[in-house]
Amino acid sequence: MAQCILKPDLQFAQELRESGGENLKKCFQCATCSVACPLAPANAPYPRKEMVWASWGLRDKLRGDTDLWLCHNCGNCSDLCPRGARPADVMAAARTIIYKELTSPSIVGKWMSRASGLPVLFLIPTVLWLVVWWIRAGYNNGNWFPRAADGRIVFGQIFYGDYTIDPIFMLTFFGACFILYCGVRKLWDMFRPQGKLLVIGKKKSWFCHLIDVLMEEVVTHRKFDDCEDGPITGKAPSNRKWGHAVLVWSFAILAFVTAVVALGHWGGKIIPVIEIHTPMPLTFPVKILANIGALMLFCGLAVLTARRVSLDSANHGSSFYDWYLLGIIWLVAATGMLSQCFRLADAVKPAFVVYYFHLVFVWMLFAYLPWSKLGHLVYRTAALVYVRMYGRS
Amino acid sequence: MAGKIGVYFDMQNIGGGLDIEALASQTREKWGELVQVVKVCPVLACTVDEIKADIASRQLDGVLLCGASPRAEADVYRLPVQVEYVNLREQCVLSYKNPDGSPPDFAAGPPEALSIMARDYVNMGVVKLQKSENPDSAAVSGVERILVIGGGWTGLTAAAEAAATGCEVVLLEKADTLGGAARNIPMASPLAPFWTDKQPTNLSEKISAVTGNSKITVYLNARMEKLQGQPGEFKAGIITSDGTVNVDVGAVVLATGWTPLDEKYLAPMGLGRGPNVLDAAQFGKMLVAGNITASRIAFVLDITMAEEAAREAAGAMADKADAESGEGADKFVKEDLENIRHLAYSNAVNSVAALRLADTVCDKTNDAAQVFILYKDMTVPGILERFYKRMQDRPGIMMTKADVTEIRESGDNMLVVCKNTLLGMDFDLEVDLVVLPTGMVPITAKDVVVQFDYRQGPDFPDLQLFDGFADSNYICFPYETRRTGVYAAGCVRQPMTMDGCEEDAKGAVLKAVQCIASASRGIAVHPRSGDASYPVFNFVRCTQCKRCTEECPFGALDDDEKGTPKPNPARCRRCGTCFGACPERVVSFADYNIDQIGSMIREVVVPKDFKKEGPRILILACENDAYPALDMAGMRHRAWNPFVRIIPVRCLGSVNAIWVSDAMSKGFDGVMLLGCKYGDDYQCHFVKGSEICARRKENIAETLNRLGVQPERVEQLEVAIDEYDRVPDLIDGFVGRIIAMGPNPFKGM
Repeated sequence: MAQCILKPDLQFAQELRESGGENLKKCFQCATCSVACPLAPANAPYPRKEMVWASWGLRDKLRGDTDLWLCHNCGNCSDLCPRGARPADVMAAARTIIYKELTSPSIVGKWMSRASGLPVLFLIPTVLWLVVWWIRAGYNNGNWFPRAADGRIVFGQIFYGDYTIDPIFMLTFFGACFILYCGVRKLWDMFRPQGKLLVIGKKKSWFCHLIDVLMEEVVTHRKFDDCEDGPITGKAPSNRKWGHAVLVWSFAILAFVTAVVALGHWGGKIIPVIEIHTPMPLTFPVKILANIGALMLFCGLAVLTARRVSLDSANHGSSFYDWYLLGIIWLVAATGMLSQCFRLADAVKPAFVVYYFHLVFVWMLFAYLPWSKLGHLVYRTAALVYVRMYGRS
Repeated sequence: MAGKIGVYFDMQNIGGGLDIEALASQTREKWGELVQVVKVCPVLACTVDEIKADIASRQLDGVLLCGASPRAEADVYRLPVQVEYVNLREQCVLSYKNPDGSPPDFAAGPPEALSIMARDYVNMGVVKLQKSENPDSAAVSGVERILVIGGGWTGLTAAAEAAATGCEVVLLEKADTLGGAARNIPMASPLAPFWTDKQPTNLSEKISAVTGNSKITVYLNARMEKLQGQPGEFKAGIITSDGTVNVDVGAVVLATGWTPLDEKYLAPMGLGRGPNVLDAAQFGKMLVAGNITASRIAFVLDITMAEEAAREAAGAMADKADAESGEGADKFVKEDLENIRHLAYSNAVNSVAALRLADTVCDKTNDAAQVFILYKDMTVPGILERFYKRMQDRPGIMMTKADVTEIRESGDNMLVVCKNTLLGMDFDLEVDLVVLPTGMVPITAKDVVVQFDYRQGPDFPDLQLFDGFADSNYICFPYETRRTGVYAAGCVRQPMTMDGCEEDAKGAVLKAVQCIASASRGIAVHPRSGDASYPVFNFVRCTQCKRCTEECPFGALDDDEKGTPKPNPARCRRCGTCFGACPERVVSFADYNIDQIGSMIREVVVPKDFKKEGPRILILACENDAYPALDMAGMRHRAWNPFVRIIPVRCLGSVNAIWVSDAMSKGFDGVMLLGCKYGDDYQCHFVKGSEICARRKENIAETLNRLGVQPERVEQLEVAIDEYDRVPDLIDGFVGRIIAMGPNPFKGM
């Protein structure tokens, strides 16, 4: 009987090692990891099988593997691995490679995969916003650091919302959305096994599943609780759930604030009642919410950064992807907060410079989202929806 | 014969359960003149000087120490006269329970049954010492020359090691060069710390160290003509190209190694069908010669296909053999023991070899090759786990457990069909080359190597038990063969890696040196190391029945044409199987003999009233495993019925039927023989003892039956040294059966 002919791809195994899975060959298939994982289903649990696929360089097996995305990266498996093979890092590395390959143009993924690509990634928005600044400075009589008529610092004088920030960011945002949409389509195609897939029982639309995932898992962070209910590893329990949850909620709040401000601004042009003027006074409810969101962002970031710094390096590694994401969010939050402070302190030059960098980093966060670790926001959600549709969760 | 005995009671070890003073005065009254000194010592271990003074002042020639088990503190009492022990601690007080099974209440005074038991044991001890004497020396010259048979990796190591101890060495190699199988392995699996990397063997240096050593004489193209005599004074006849050479040697190291399993056994896996299937030995040679270009190589360690084919073939053969059987031969014919199981035995070596060869392939191709290791059991011995870890880390080496169900050609490539893999799927593997394991067949499976000039024949006995490997008891006594003074090392003993062979060679040489030294002192090497006694034959009564010469597990006894036994004390391991065998009771040891144990049995007071005073049951317990198990049970307060009396014996093989008759005629209600497991997976220290005893027991049962005594009154039970928790139940179960049977019909006659 003819069976599939296995084609190990050692190049792929090498890529995995370079993306953070450098210890993957140490695995001797004892399956302690699969037992340790609180999330792995009893039927064909992970990450034992992913480890052997990885060491044999079976690219297609890993690409079609929904389990990669069920993993919430708690690291129990790595803590308990008797050989120090770091299954959690290997799973993360596999996801990373998939972000990179899934999302076109793939050149960005290449830059994103190592620190040496960072200058290019940084240079693009730097130039973009410098050009905007230069043009707008021209409108302000060549003054790069203008003040408003009443002497206040108004960032809008340089980075004028209607013509600069909004179109650029809307384009970036919707572009990223489109890229992600294509990525998710591709991801689902990869998951789909060959032949026909028959689902027996009641079916729900993908949208209903998405709502379920968002309500049951993303908002509540339920899986993180499961992670922490895992076997005793001898490590102090981390505040990973709260760090991550606070960060996610702060993102939600800041997204909401942005949406309200955009609505107030553009909607105000039609219905004057809801018009919102920026900068908003500190006591304005939306502003209060924005600052609460920013504070939460700092808290969540601090917790997650502290955790990553204190990770036992014997069992856990942090890749460039991990540090890039933490770093970029720190920079966004820090420049955002600082620019507000400088503005209120009436320090015009630092305020503009910092605000400029704020825009650079925010753009980087959004524009590169599909290739970065933040892509898990979309890809993991998409995978969770997929597994709910086909009954593995 | 001890005529003046000192009896010492050790209060510290006996404790408060017994009236020791009463016991002492009883002993004094009963034995009168024989027992010169009876003392109750608070702490016996502090009384050693006093005992020595007594020996000097009262001319004692025997000392009886009543207290702890002889296994507990024997090293404390190194006295110039015979010492005997009465085990009042472990096997009397600590293991005591009332006849009805209830725990004793020592506060109400010493229990009666316990006092009776202690009295019996002390009396048995006295009579044992009375019937014992110091043996005459059986020392032989002890030639300090070691014969090493086999000039391969193990033999070369052994020769160099033996020379380093100061012995002369005769090294015998059947081929025309030294080196053996190691010549094909320039890079070996790790030989030294840190056990992570393969290493050059530097074989030529090893060879020149041997050939350049003035203490070592090398005979090439040589084989054994015969080995005569006994350890310390063997006479070896060596056939060389220049005729036969006779050498006196003290001991022999057998390092003849292995030969590859016949290719036909691997034919079902594709060996011999084309150039794309090789066995590990061939592949290794080609790799060394630089003749391997394949970049995808599968090492198949799963040998199920070969095993199944062999099983089918064996089935067909058995049918044929049935038709042909019936021919008997008087002359010794060597049976070829090569078979498919040698492949499985070699799995550990093949696992390591696959890793080593895969490593070499990766080295040569700069990690561009893909090497697959498909195993059923990846068996990496001991510290070589570190090597395995290192190899696992190599990018090009991919391993999985797999059932390999087919190996076939597919175009220019080979297709290996794998099922039940760790990858969670069945798959075909496309490779350029398939490498199969090499079965290692010990030379002793195919040839008579040593050519013993012994009564029991020229070969090692029972080789078929080990599929030809020259090994008798590898856990307890590695290197030891069934022929004392001949020590096996390396792959002739067990398939092993080269580091294992080196260690083995050193171990066997140490054994050989120890053997020569022991022979020159007239003491046993093992398992009864240091025992100076040996069997003495009273030839006047010998009927030349040959039982002793045939039953000796170690072939220690030769005989003349008439069949009169000719003892070789240095070959003897002092188990006493010969005197257990002798119907005329002509064999005895100075300190262990038929009359002595018979007298001990008769010393037990057997009450006439079975109902009121209980039965009496004799336990003859093997000293090696059963006796320590009883001690351990006692130490853990696992009590047994107080009506049993235990006598240690050297081995159940030394139990003479007369002891059972003595016991039955004395009125004992049952006899329990407590010894080691026997059969193919025996645990007997003397290999055959418990098995021979079981056979003799059948005869005893027959005799008892004729006399109208239920044969069930004699039972042999198997126990392992670690089964202390089971021993009390075994005893109680037997006692229960005896009580149900009622009293011995001979009681009181």
